[in-house]
Amino acid sequence: MIRHSNKRNAVRMSKTVRRISAAAAGLSAVALLAGCAKNAPQDTWQPKGPNAQKIDDLQKPVFAIAGIVGIIVFAAIGYALFKFKDRGQPIPEQTHGKPVLEIGMTILPAVILAGIGIFTFQTIFDLAKTDDTEMVINVTGQQWWWEYDYPVQEQYGITDPIITSGQLVIPSGTKVLLRETSRDVIHSYWIPALNGKRDAVPGRVHTLRLEADEPGIYAGQCTEFCGLSHAVMRMETVALSKDDFAAWVKGQLSLAASPTEGSLAQEGESVFLNQCVRCHQVNGLKKADGSPAIAAPEDNVWSGAAPNLTHLMSRNTFAGASWNLLTKQCRKDVWEASSEEFGKRYLAGVTEECLNQTDLRRWLRNAPAMKPMYADPTKLEETGGKYRGMPNLGLSEDDIDKLVAYLATLK
Amino acid sequence: MADAAVHHADHGHHTSTGLSNNKLGMWLFLGSECLLFGGLISTYMIYRGRVGEGPRPGNVFDIPFTSVSSFVLLMSSLTMVLAVAAAQKRDDRGTTLWLTVTGLLGATFVGGQVYEFTAMYNEGLGFTTSLFGSAFYTLTGFHGVHVTVGVIMLLSLVGIIKRSRVPGDKAEVVELVGLYWHFVDVVWIIIFTLVYLIPT
Amino acid sequence: MAIIERPVPVGVPDIPAPATPTRTFGALRRPVATTGWKSWVFTVDHKKLGIMYGAVAMFFFIVGGIEAVLIRLQLAAPNGKVLSADVYNQMFTMHATTMVFLFVMPMAAAFANYFVPLQIGARDVAFPRINAFGFWTLVGGGIIVNLSWFFGGAADGGWFMYAPNSGPVFSPSNGVDFWALGLQITGIASLTGAVNLIVTVLNMRAPGMSLMKMPVFTWLQLVVQFLLLFAIPVITVALFLLSFQRSFGATFFDVSAGADPLLWQHLFWIFGHPEVYILVLPSFGIISEVLPVFSKKPLFGYPFVVFSGAAIGFVGWGVWAHHMFASGLGPVSVAVFSIATMAIAVPTGVKIVNWTMTIWGGKLNFTAAMHFAIGLVVLFTIGGLSGVTHAVAPSDTQQTDTYYIVAHFHYVLFGGAIFGLFAGFYYWWPKMFGKQLNERLGKANFWLMVIGMNMTFGPMHMIGLQGQPRRMYVWTEARAGEGFFNLAFWNRVASIGSLVLSIGVLLFLINVVKTARSKQVAPLDPWDARTLEWMTTSPPKEHNFDAIPTVHHLDEFFHRKYAQDPVTHEIKQVATAEDIMRDQEANADKHIHMPSPSYWPIILAGGLPVIALGVIYAIPVAIVGAAIVVLAMYGWSLEPSTAPDTDFDPPASGDGTKELAPLG
Repeated sequence: MIRHSNKRNAVRMSKTVRRISAAAAGLSAVALLAGCAKNAPQDTWQPKGPNAQKIDDLQKPVFAIAGIVGIIVFAAIGYALFKFKDRGQPIPEQTHGKPVLEIGMTILPAVILAGIGIFTFQTIFDLAKTDDTEMVINVTGQQWWWEYDYPVQEQYGITDPIITSGQLVIPSGTKVLLRETSRDVIHSYWIPALNGKRDAVPGRVHTLRLEADEPGIYAGQCTEFCGLSHAVMRMETVALSKDDFAAWVKGQLSLAASPTEGSLAQEGESVFLNQCVRCHQVNGLKKADGSPAIAAPEDNVWSGAAPNLTHLMSRNTFAGASWNLLTKQCRKDVWEASSEEFGKRYLAGVTEECLNQTDLRRWLRNAPAMKPMYADPTKLEETGGKYRGMPNLGLSEDDIDKLVAYLATLK
Repeated sequence: MADAAVHHADHGHHTSTGLSNNKLGMWLFLGSECLLFGGLISTYMIYRGRVGEGPRPGNVFDIPFTSVSSFVLLMSSLTMVLAVAAAQKRDDRGTTLWLTVTGLLGATFVGGQVYEFTAMYNEGLGFTTSLFGSAFYTLTGFHGVHVTVGVIMLLSLVGIIKRSRVPGDKAEVVELVGLYWHFVDVVWIIIFTLVYLIPT
Repeated sequence: MAIIERPVPVGVPDIPAPATPTRTFGALRRPVATTGWKSWVFTVDHKKLGIMYGAVAMFFFIVGGIEAVLIRLQLAAPNGKVLSADVYNQMFTMHATTMVFLFVMPMAAAFANYFVPLQIGARDVAFPRINAFGFWTLVGGGIIVNLSWFFGGAADGGWFMYAPNSGPVFSPSNGVDFWALGLQITGIASLTGAVNLIVTVLNMRAPGMSLMKMPVFTWLQLVVQFLLLFAIPVITVALFLLSFQRSFGATFFDVSAGADPLLWQHLFWIFGHPEVYILVLPSFGIISEVLPVFSKKPLFGYPFVVFSGAAIGFVGWGVWAHHMFASGLGPVSVAVFSIATMAIAVPTGVKIVNWTMTIWGGKLNFTAAMHFAIGLVVLFTIGGLSGVTHAVAPSDTQQTDTYYIVAHFHYVLFGGAIFGLFAGFYYWWPKMFGKQLNERLGKANFWLMVIGMNMTFGPMHMIGLQGQPRRMYVWTEARAGEGFFNLAFWNRVASIGSLVLSIGVLLFLINVVKTARSKQVAPLDPWDARTLEWMTTSPPKEHNFDAIPTVHHLDEFFHRKYAQDPVTHEIKQVATAEDIMRDQEANADKHIHMPSPSYWPIILAGGLPVIALGVIYAIPVAIVGAAIVVLAMYGWSLEPSTAPDTDFDPPASGDGTKELAPLG
């Protein structure tokens, strides 16, 4: 008797389930789309390059399957809760299960997962390929910024190594291979629009494929907890058309020129020589006696590196890509430029009227106040007196004026 | 019903498995210890080649010496077996004799290890010298501590038996200590093979 | 006072009775208090220990909850100012550590301690003193871990404590030292508990209770204890390496000496993944008791639930590297672990099907406990399905270390583990305290928690998939996107949700206080339950059962109450719980002997934190701690686990205590 009514229930149930699940699927899809943020820069569902696309092609069906399975389960539970509520019915038969059903319900998910597994397998190996690489860039993480080092690659005009930070510049439509490592703790390089993340581990070199379909800026963020200021260790990847990229390379290979005699910037240069050059390299900068000024971050900073500032104004962020060198409006112009316009706007760099003086001055005034960096001199026992980031240099407002003027010349 | 009413830790009878609680507990503990040594041995195997500026394994190991002390430890397993047999025959004199001998053999092994550590330290391999040093001293040190704890248990047991203060079944207590002792021995055989005999 | 007997084993009659000194180790006599704080502090009774485990766990739940709310307050708006970066990092580290090691694990241990012996018809656990030791060790470990707040800051490397960020250079405060040593101590508690419970389950079942007649809660606890037995030593090794590096200059994670930082990750996750099942399986066990009771049906597919539990236990060892898909393992390892991780979804799915089929065709009674059990099934399903999306390794490289993962594991651990524990509270409260928690408040508690939990963790799916990483002390509007439903909006919703959740938990605490004050006594069998723990008084007597029942069925208690009419096949009640109790009392065992309380467990446990403090601050202090431990071990081993009369102060007397009963 009980079995009979169960069967009838099951038939009725399957219809209801179908109806409920269709409705729920529709509703949840709508809710999901409506509930999403628009233009979130790190959206993992908006691939802008073939590697991220590959992941997306794999994951969308998985999400769909998971969603459908979920809806079926919830419909079944919901129906049972409603249907089998205690309304005084007799105590049900004390059955201990139906092995056939259970074996079926074991095999079914196994088969679905096996299917997913095959595609997963393939994608994993596709994304690990390195033999089709067209360009190599070394990426080094340290607390709390990324350094990019372009080895000599004549075909792109890179005749000398280029060292930069904050924004990784790549030619669009080119298969770039990042070789990642770290100078201190583990970091993780992640540009969601272009690929998944890969950890930068000290003592190891990991590779990550990166390719952008179109010119543009792609935001990212360090995604392995790396200590105090992990939250403000950001990065951006800038893709330029091949011609624009060549222009960028050319700019990066040039040396910094001395500011005009007697200008505020020239006074800033001497402040820089007194204070900043201990850690920050500016290629082409000369000491008062005419000898080249060589930075010695290894003597002052635990990780042994500080951002190279030769072309600071060619990038539009600073301090681990966490603050903008561009004012809000100028930055918007670059971010929102069409892919044709983008290269021109980006290569314009930070012009006088676009320079975000507020944040830059705040930084020079007291960097650790903006970005916590274990820079407290009383806490440097374990590092033998070396800083773990930029300390508060105690510059006077006058010095800051001069420095800003000088930094603005580092195009 | 009355049988089942009595459940007690000290009395191994009438358990569902037939194995006494204490013995089953000891087996489980030793199972857990396998993973402990597994972790330490894996760490050593990964790091044994990473010597930095410090001495290499081949330069500091004195294999003949360690072979002798390993042999001493192996012999102690034999005397432990004799102690357990004596305890089962309720031969208190035999039990205490063989337990003492086992303890002394164990102590000899620990003494040998102290000598070995000193010699290695003098040859320039400190705990902080290299990854090899850290991993080696940690692994063999953990084993040495296990042997030391075993020696203390053995000698304490001798004292307790002599004063007739063993709580519970004497033969079982001796057997439990024996289980632990054999385990520590077996672990040493593995360590000796992997650490000393297999070249890097 | 327990009824004491001095057992004389028959069969080996020529063994002289153990000689026992009048004074244990010449130092301490037996504690004898049966009331007041001494009766709790020196107890070896598994039920009292269970309650104390529960109380301590609940305390840490509140601590961890406050930490969680502070985290959400900081993240309610961009560039939050509630916490500094330093304090925030400590906060999320300690939130996870507290919830995992000091709330869910001890709370599961509380239920295991209290109910496993009752469910298998035993009078106590196999090693009652070790049980007490485990509890006090946990307390010591919990204190050490949290003490760091007051001594220069807590651990700040995340609960996963990846090297080399956990090294002395990158985490210069003593927080990580406290953390590592404290967890080492709680590990001892888990390990001893595991040995104890496994022996109890394997050796002390009531006559007739074969393994396949064991209640599912006990089964899954058995699996959990095996997982602990083998997982704890692995984290022990990892923590030793870490402590040796920080305290004694070892080079294990020093990259400049050639160390590989991934070693820590492997050791940690070989422990850490089984740990996930350690957290969630006890709750699976609880609802596998609750759903059948309130559906008036046996658990659907009992053997499948048991074997899938065991399968999860096994396969759980082969999936640890799915926490490391972005670590750079190489494609072969990633592929293997990806497939293994998908495989583990199968036995988990089996459980969902079985629970659904258990209520299917039942006679459902929606009590508060049932609410929480169903809540678990639904919420855990969500967590399980999002889990499948990151078993797919390539998509995990987009998801890992974002809020999507935070959403996933909170659905699994809050929706799974914690909802199960709450189901357990409402279901077993009358058994433990003889009073029922208020059902109306209970349902309000449930709904607030469901709404709060979905408000808090639901939006995190979106926040994560749209690119917000976790473990960030601030987030910025620049990356939050546009539109009304931008990430700022969802962060705000999540923060408000955490407050709703807190009110839900507060309602539970109010319910507890209200119930404690109420004079209404719970009926003997308030839920019409199915398993042995209900075949005794509430709360149970110290010796649990007057007569140890002989078991004939799975769900023995139910089968004693109900029988199928051979003609009409209708299931009819044939006896009440009261009838069965009367029968038991009439046939009570004459000689019941219970383990005696002891001072040694708490003394031994007390030595461990002293050692820890010594390692951090001054080695001589550690030596004092070690001396306490050694002395306590001698005292312990020389003390028979059942005290003879003369060992009591004052000596125990009375007829019940001097009888000699044959064991044979």
